[in-house]
Amino acid sequence: MAHVTFPFPFPEHLGLLLPEMIIAVMAMVLLIWDLFIPKDKKQWVAYATVLVCIVTAVAVVQVTTGLSATSFYGYFVMDPFASFAKLLILLATVFGVILSFDYMKDEENMGEYYCLMLFSVLGMMFLVSANNFVTMYLGLELMALSIYVLVGYQRNVLRSSEAALKYFILGSLASGMLLYGITFLYGVTTSFSFATIGPALGVANESAHGVVMLGLVFVLAGMAFKVSIAPFHMWTPDTYEGAPTPVTAFISVAPKVAGFVIFMRILHDVFPEVQVDYTNILVVLAAITIVVGNVAAIAQRNIKRMMAYSTVGHVGFILLGLIAANEAGYTGSLVYLTVYLFMNMGVFAIVILMRRDGMDGELLDDFSGLSKARPGYALAMGLLLFSLAGIPFLGGFWAKYAVLLPLIGAGHLYLALLAIVFSVVGAFYYLRVVKYMYFDDARVTFNFIESPAMQAVVIVSTLAIVAIGLYPDPVMQLCKQALVGFI
Amino acid sequence: MESLYNVLGFPILSLSIFLPTAGALFIWMFVKDDAAVRWASLSVSVATFVVTLPLLLSFDHTTAHMQFEELHPWISSFNINYALGIDGISMPFIVLTSLLTIVCIVSAWRCIQTRVKEYMLAFLILETTLIGVFASLDAVLFYFFWEAMLIPMYLIIGVWGGKNRVYATLKFFLYTLGGSVLMLIAIMAMYFKTGGSFSMLAYMDYPFNFDWQFWIFLAFFVAFAVKVPMWPFHTWLPDAHTEAPTAGSVILAGILLKMGAYGFLRFSLPMLPDASQYFVPFMVFLSLIAIVYVSLVAMMQTDLKRLIAYSSIAHMGFVTLGTFMFTEIAIEGAVFGMISHGFVAAALFLCVGVLYDRMHTREISAYGGVVNVMPVFAVVMMFFAMANVALPGASSFVAEIMVLLGTFNPSPEAMLYMPFSMKWVAIIAASSVVLSACYTLWMLKRVLMGDLVKDEVKTLKDMNVREFSFFAPLIVLVIWLGLYPAPALDLLHVTVAHLVDQATSSKLADAALIAQGAAAHLIGH
Repeated sequence: MAHVTFPFPFPEHLGLLLPEMIIAVMAMVLLIWDLFIPKDKKQWVAYATVLVCIVTAVAVVQVTTGLSATSFYGYFVMDPFASFAKLLILLATVFGVILSFDYMKDEENMGEYYCLMLFSVLGMMFLVSANNFVTMYLGLELMALSIYVLVGYQRNVLRSSEAALKYFILGSLASGMLLYGITFLYGVTTSFSFATIGPALGVANESAHGVVMLGLVFVLAGMAFKVSIAPFHMWTPDTYEGAPTPVTAFISVAPKVAGFVIFMRILHDVFPEVQVDYTNILVVLAAITIVVGNVAAIAQRNIKRMMAYSTVGHVGFILLGLIAANEAGYTGSLVYLTVYLFMNMGVFAIVILMRRDGMDGELLDDFSGLSKARPGYALAMGLLLFSLAGIPFLGGFWAKYAVLLPLIGAGHLYLALLAIVFSVVGAFYYLRVVKYMYFDDARVTFNFIESPAMQAVVIVSTLAIVAIGLYPDPVMQLCKQALVGFI
Repeated sequence: MESLYNVLGFPILSLSIFLPTAGALFIWMFVKDDAAVRWASLSVSVATFVVTLPLLLSFDHTTAHMQFEELHPWISSFNINYALGIDGISMPFIVLTSLLTIVCIVSAWRCIQTRVKEYMLAFLILETTLIGVFASLDAVLFYFFWEAMLIPMYLIIGVWGGKNRVYATLKFFLYTLGGSVLMLIAIMAMYFKTGGSFSMLAYMDYPFNFDWQFWIFLAFFVAFAVKVPMWPFHTWLPDAHTEAPTAGSVILAGILLKMGAYGFLRFSLPMLPDASQYFVPFMVFLSLIAIVYVSLVAMMQTDLKRLIAYSSIAHMGFVTLGTFMFTEIAIEGAVFGMISHGFVAAALFLCVGVLYDRMHTREISAYGGVVNVMPVFAVVMMFFAMANVALPGASSFVAEIMVLLGTFNPSPEAMLYMPFSMKWVAIIAASSVVLSACYTLWMLKRVLMGDLVKDEVKTLKDMNVREFSFFAPLIVLVIWLGLYPAPALDLLHVTVAHLVDQATSSKLADAALIAQGAAAHLIGH
């Protein structure tokens, strides 16, 4: 190979992109393979997608060295932080695909659905490895565009199309804001690279404080939209409600993981010089997010909408770790994301199981009497809901614990008080679902369309939540190690 | 790791904590039939009681040191340890918990016919969390059990409760959760202040300055005051008691209320002595309201369970009053009062349960002349009603007299911020002797006495052997502790003396030294 000369310099460490290459190639291969599969065998694509995710996860583990390495001239970074995020995203995707098996069986063009999921995963994986605003924007858009289509996949269902359109329009607006912010930062530092902007911003902040602040505010607003931080959360309830439920489950977790990881990377690498300013903004945003999410969820009658506002509330908690802005805080946010993945996947799996005749089974009182009809599912759902409420011996408690402790350590006692008081408000609407399941009599007969795969998702999520709740140390250590080389 | 004081050389506290849950898991997986579930649950609870007996029998009452200690790292990332240990204050509550759980399970034998398995599992898991609370020496572990308790209790009231159960159980859950989250914040703040420790014993040694003590006391106060419950945080209790199934009320009155007062004894007094002294007038004021005002409220109740619930609040007022006198006799009286109230209130709720099983109403006006048809029951209920009034010979008399004596003669530290003599407080508190007699005797008159006019009452059958079986041990204990309390008080002496010592020694001098940087060695505890 030494004698071959390329007309352009060949990117070094190309092997670091092995997982992304697998996903990209396999997504396209599946897209074509899908054309040759008979109509009644489309499930094969789903199984293949799970396989691709598993192979990719193995590849991610293979290329992880425990050190920070870059490729594409520093545009792409592969560190334990990125690989941890990629593994979480792939896990969420596997869950998402499994949840889609039965739900999407009757839809047309099933193959493309799974390929779109893979493309969005590709976008997320680039996003968490971005070390440069260009890579970041490309990853973000690839992720977002694929998800817009996924949300509107049931194109014959009015609210699905509506959800996609709303998400698309607001998402485009947010992307525009993000780009606008990036141009300001480029203007004062003449660079897109995180590593260059970071130090340069300190100098620029002295001479052009206003421009730096404009850049900061617009970038934060763009990011806030992507992870549903209030008041940029308006799309969340409509999109969650309208999207096919497996897609709701998928977008409630995977893009949040990707979004928060790149959020942390930007805050830590790009804006360390203006930490005081961004902390002030984030404190206000976190307070609004926690209040809005937990209060608005009380008024919801549809469990998907309720979970949308619950997501907003949890996003506020994850943000607390970013406000602490130290190793413990980021560890806390990662712990939260991990626990949150299992909680949401489990809850949505049960919501999907509740589906009857298309769209029903989403109202809260549809859960009435579940504990008598299906005690196993009711127990799992109950544990997941108590965990979401943050009650001990379940994982959700340690998630809250892991972000609140660093927050107090960083001196934000009042924010911690506000957060924990509103987590009590939040407990109300989770308990209400438990009330329907355990205290009320059944209104309807339950006819679950069960499959071993769905049951596996419920069992794995619930067991994970209980296991983390009883012995959280391994997860906490894992998240701490993910930050080696980043902080 | 420092040497642990455990005379048995065996993790007996862990066994007491996890045996009920292990049994619950076994029953969940392998026992199908309702009758078998009942017997299996009874065996598990009896086994747990037997396991907790060595705690009482091998207890070394000559030392204030924690006993039967266990220490393992649990969450090393945050320096959270699985630290267990008990002293003279926590030990009685563990035995009380395991005893009352048996009573709960026996009392539910007939009256719970729906979802028997879930009911028994909830009680066994509840037992785990309750014993865990009293055995924890790590603040996070304590909080962990303290909050985990909410889940089974929420289900017990919500699934097997009365008409208005959903409102009652949600109120109970949210009230308690709202109070305790502030405690979590306080614990986290103390973690940073003490340089990264969650050990409750380290908190007792650490010299917090007054500002810290002030705010942490308030945060703990909310958590404990909701649980006790103290006026004005008490409104959840009558609802929860009224709607809960009989056994739920028993465990609520018998153990759950004690957790709050235990919190004051374990956290506030030894960790925050200066703030505790500062808040004496405040605590005394709230206790007096509980004793006088809540007693008056109890008098006006038309619902039997509500009446006993209010009477519990009044008795807990005595406990908090004794706690904040900082003398051995008052604090021993408070602890003794909690144990005694654990028996008496539990028994009174069981009495109501016996009536409710037959009549399905708790309205006082629905009864009258019960003594004519249920003579044995009437004697039992009369006995516990008299114990509730604190008649000499009953355990509650010993407790009340000790608290009153302590209030007449409080420690100088309790008087630091008191605007007037504690004698007036004692005189007002002593009025409860009259007030509790009023509401209890009036209730007895309306329920047991009078002519037999109501048709439903005429057909009542007296208690059977099973029902009498869970009253018998309670009667024996109430009389024994009432006539000869010395052995029980002996268990408390050294621990309480140590606690009084902690609560009356100011931490401010050391805190000032630390502020000057002159006493770095003090932080190293």
